[in-house]
Parts: sequence; C-alpha cells; structure tokens
Amino acid sequence: MLHVHLYGKLRRFAADTDPRSESIVDVAYCPGDTVGSVVARLGIAVEELGTNLFVDGRYADLSSPVEDEARLGLFPDDMQLLYKWYFRPKGLSPKGLGPKGLSPKAADR
Amino acid sequence: MDPGETGVWMERILRVNMADRTARFEPVPSSYQNRAGRWLTSSIVHDEVPATCHPLGPNSKIVFSPGIVTGTPAPTSSRISVGGKSPLTGGIKEANAGTGWGRRLARLGIRAVVVEGQPNDGQFWLLKVDAKGATFESAAAWTGKKLSHVVPAIVERFGGKDRVDVCSIGVAGEQRMGAAGICFTDREGRPTRYAGRGGLGAVLGSKGLKAIVVNDSGAADVPIADKALFDVGRKKLAAALGEHAITKPKGALNTYGTAVLVNILNEAGGLPTRNFREGRFEGATRIAGEAIFAGNKERLGRELYNHPCSPGCIIACSNTWHRPDGSEHTSCIEYESDWAFGADCGISNLDQIAELNLLCNEYGLDTIEIGGTLAVAAEGGLWTFGDGRRAIELVHEIGKATPLGRILGNGAVITGRVLGVVRVPHVKGQSMPAYEPRAVKGIGMTYAVSTMGADHTSGYTIAPEILGVSGKLDPLDAKKTELARNFQYATGFIDTTGHCLFIAFAILDIGSGFEGVVEECSGVLGTKWTMNDVARIGKEVLDLELDFNRKAGFTAVDDRLPEFMSREPLPPHNTVWDVADGEIDKVFAKT
Repeated sequence: MLHVHLYGKLRRFAADTDPRSESIVDVAYCPGDTVGSVVARLGIAVEELGTNLFVDGRYADLSSPVEDEARLGLFPDDMQLLYKWYFRPKGLSPKGLGPKGLSPKAADR
Repeated sequence: MDPGETGVWMERILRVNMADRTARFEPVPSSYQNRAGRWLTSSIVHDEVPATCHPLGPNSKIVFSPGIVTGTPAPTSSRISVGGKSPLTGGIKEANAGTGWGRRLARLGIRAVVVEGQPNDGQFWLLKVDAKGATFESAAAWTGKKLSHVVPAIVERFGGKDRVDVCSIGVAGEQRMGAAGICFTDREGRPTRYAGRGGLGAVLGSKGLKAIVVNDSGAADVPIADKALFDVGRKKLAAALGEHAITKPKGALNTYGTAVLVNILNEAGGLPTRNFREGRFEGATRIAGEAIFAGNKERLGRELYNHPCSPGCIIACSNTWHRPDGSEHTSCIEYESDWAFGADCGISNLDQIAELNLLCNEYGLDTIEIGGTLAVAAEGGLWTFGDGRRAIELVHEIGKATPLGRILGNGAVITGRVLGVVRVPHVKGQSMPAYEPRAVKGIGMTYAVSTMGADHTSGYTIAPEILGVSGKLDPLDAKKTELARNFQYATGFIDTTGHCLFIAFAILDIGSGFEGVVEECSGVLGTKWTMNDVARIGKEVLDLELDFNRKAGFTAVDDRLPEFMSREPLPPHNTVWDVADGEIDKVFAKT
C-alpha cells in the first residue's frame, strides 16, 4: 500500500478534506510504480502539480520510483514554495526544472 | 535644514547624534552614488563603525536606508534596510522590513539615517522627521509600555496613518536585550512589521532613541531619471508577480501566507521540531497556512485573503489571526514565527501561537530568536514542550524585564549557557530559522557562511541559470559552494533595490520579471545596468560585510553549524550534517 498525503486543492481527492487534518489516500502498490503512475491512478492532472513532490520526504518528480509502503507528499502548483534547487536530484539539469518543473525524463537515478 | 530651501530636490543623509541630540543633513558622498538599501547600510556600517567596538557602546551606529526604487510606483518595493553591529553575533547585521516608513523617507529625499553617539542620562527620545527637518522630543511618556499602547497614539499625534509611519523599539529594546527587533508600522498604523533579527532593537535602545516618526506631507515624488525605462521594468515585474502561482492574487502567499511552508517542510522532513530534535511535527497540519485560512473562515464566516504589509505591494502575503469571537488577535503570523512557537516549541494550538506572536510584537522582540530561545529553555527544563500557557508566561517575563526575562530576552545562546544546554541551534550566536540543515543541506550552507549568523533570507533565492552561472549546479554536489555564493550575491542585490525578497518566487521562474527589476533600477538612477551588475553589486555588498566581520575577528571556524548536528541523526531521514569544512570555506574563499 502507498500512502499519499495531499495538500491544498489536491485534498479533494481524499476522503478527509479538512485543511487542518491529514488528507491521506491509501493506494494499492503496483510493481514499477512511479510518482507519475500513482498520480495518474488517483486521477490527478499533472498540470495541477508543482515541483514540491516528495517520496518518503525526499524531493522527487513524476519519474521517481516508489516502493511499497512509501509515503508520497504532493503539493499543487500554487504551493511550490520550497525551491527546487535545494533538493535537486543528482544529475537533474536546470532545463528539466523549467517553469513547470515536471520533465519526466529529467531524473537521472 | 529645509530640503526645499535650495529649490532643488537632492538626496541627503540625515545624521543624528544622540550624545548631544543634534540632527543635521549632509550631502550623499559621491563614493556612495547609486547605493541604497542594504548596499548603503552595509557600506556606512563598514566605513564608519569600528568593527571591534561594543555593539551597544558609544562608537556603534545604526543606519537606515530605503531601497533604490522604494518610494516609486515599483511594485512590492517598500522595504527599509537597517544595518549595524549585532549584539548577538558581534558581526555586521542587516535586517529589513516592509513598511511605509522607508517610502516616506525616500520621498523626503533622505537616502539614509545614521544614528550615532550615546546619551549618558538614561533618557529616551523621539525623533520627528518631516519636510521641515528633524527635531527631538522626550519619549518619557512612551517608554515601558506595550507597543500597541504606544505606536497608534504616536501615529495619531503626529498626523495620522495617511501621513505618518513610525519606527520604534519596545521594552526589549529599551532594556538592550539581544533579541530585540526594530518595529515599523504597517498600512494601518499598527506596530507589526519587524526588522527583527540580530538584536538591532537593542542598538537603537542603547542610543536612547525610542522612536523615529516620519511625516512626508508636502514631499515631492521620488525623481525617476528615465521614466520610460522605469515603466518598462515596472510593468515586466508586475506582470510576473501577477502571473506566477505563488505571488498572484489568491495565489499561495495571498491565500495561505508564508506559513504555507509548514506543511511543505514537514513533508520534506525538514521542519525543526522540539528544539531541532526531529524533522517532522505531528501537529503541523493544525498550525500551517491552510489551517490559518480555514480557522479564520470558520470564525469570520467568510474567506479572508491576506493583505499588503506595506504600500504598493501586490503580493499581499501578510495575514491576521482572529479569535473565536471574530476579533483580530494578531498580525502577522509568518512561517518563521508559526514554526518558532509551533513546531520548535511543540505547540499545536494556533491561538497560543498567535498570543506568543502578539507578545513579541508588544515587547519588540524577534519571534525567531524568542521561539528558538523558548525551545532551548524547554530543553533546559524550564518548561515542558507543548505547554503553551507556560510559554506565554515566560514571554511576559521578558516584557517585565525580570532577571529570568532578561536571560530569555538575550536569546538562545545566552539561555543555553545559563541552563547548561548543549543542543543550541545557532550560527555565530544567532538562533537558527525554520529549515533543518540536516534535511535541507543547501540552506545549511547558507546558515554557515552568512555574514549575518544563521539567516534563511541571506541566500534564499535565485536561479543560478538567471545569473548566468553554470547550468549544472546541484546543491548536494561538489559545486554547491558556487551556488551558495551566488544565492547570497543575488539576495544582496534584491535587498539593495528595496524590493521584497518574495519577488524572487516569480522572477526566478519568469526571466522577464528579473530584467524588469534591473530596468526599474536603471530607470530611477539613470544607469545602464544589466544582469551582470546584479552579481557585481551583490558581490560588493557581501565583500563589505565579510571585511567587517574579518576585522571584528571572525575566522573560518565561525562558519560552522553546531557540533550536535554532525553527531545526532535527524529523523525521519536520520541524516547528520556532513558537509566538509573545506567545502564551506570555499564559498567566499576567492572574494
């Protein structure tokens, strides 16, 4: 099982949408899952996401792999206050972190 | 001196000597041409303050300067820079705030106010600055009181909030406490906006200067050398701020305020919790920006978006928190304050956090230093993490200037020493802000090398690609030194323009916005600056500050994070601070 913590306007995809509590969706894990595949399964449009995506507290992007029992943290595009260059995954070029910050082939892991 | 007596608008420096209570206007020296904001305050501190002087002694000075475009129609540009020698760090200090105060100074043609000398009678004075000049009167009636009981009355007395802004210190500054900030009025004349860090309020207190009132009635508009260029730049910046998801109306900052970061840092495992013991706080969602928005909506029966802290700001990120009956409790609960009293103290009750924030505004205290100090005090057994009622009592001790209050009011390092606490998160004597360096190593680098001590704003921003630096930088690889350096240069430039640092959210994603800032500056000054000048000016600012600190006795060993961070793994990542000393020392090695 994957545990997806949603914030801001993404909370609507969880049962508990109260912004003062945890809006968590548990999603069945599928081998080979990435952040992008989990996001797609939840029905979240990638345009709603920003660059502040986390897997087990580590900065991630859509191509980042996830493992069973992972905690995903997803913030929408209007909440991406934490600068991407603090957390840039190794080898990720600035070009891949352009305005949308969502280059699926950018990660070099 | 009447600025209009020559018939020519010219910029001047107002020099205030508190030893004999004189105030005189001087021309701006040619060597300071085009300098303003942090560039000018750091220049004057570097050139005039003996680096080894006691920060609260007669040779110390404190300097105020509005930014290059402050006072013009440039959006989000009403920052006032305050510089001096910090009683917390013993090094140079620049803190800035958003307020109409600097805007009025700029409109009066006052490029800087330099306060020097020291009275020996223990009296406090109020300085009134207007188009006729600068005059003193006794501040005896205004001292020893909460700022909300004093500042609105001063505003009314000297012309009302449409004509007047006030800079003042609270009880903490009067008592020369190291955690004392300098308070400025917001658009409503409330004492809520702070140049908070580094104890500059104590420096002003040591001068016997309680308040500086600026009334710009009758002042002319700030002259703009190339209006067409300025307008091009201003519009580019306004477009970027209006378009970007973070800075646009009803965007993240306008809706949730800076406290939107609580959930983000918590998710990243980098929200320092209970005196930097952990990187996640179980109460984070109850205190975050989203909770503030939801709580206000519940109590007011409507959505409340944030307001501009200062005239001309189009980001409008300053929040207010309301009591259950709908009355206003405090403004503004910034991310750093929310974290300092919340996660760092283990408190998840927003009403208690709001009260602690309010008390800091009342007593004239830096919320970051006080939150960090309370956390150290809990570590030392003075109270229990999470006991908000006791935390509030302790801040009242500071306001009453009891012996315990004086210890707490002098910050985390002093308090840690008194209580025998080893885990004291600070750099150079200034307590650490709301980003855990063991989880966010880029900011740890900034804390280590900042000329200001642990300071999140000194290298918070800027895309390396915008600065034309190599496009392959990674804060976690060997080239992070270059990144840390250029972040600080860019910040030095933004602090010089008078713009709020938060414009960086938009201009680092929308390059035309950054061009606009440079064009605005050239438009005002009549220069032909390009992006290359951004790094040049930023470097000059940092070089001045580094030189001051070297003369004050700082060496490489001062550029270190606390030892416990290299030893204690931080949950949830269970990482330690492992950046080699040699890497840190490279950041400014060639400057």
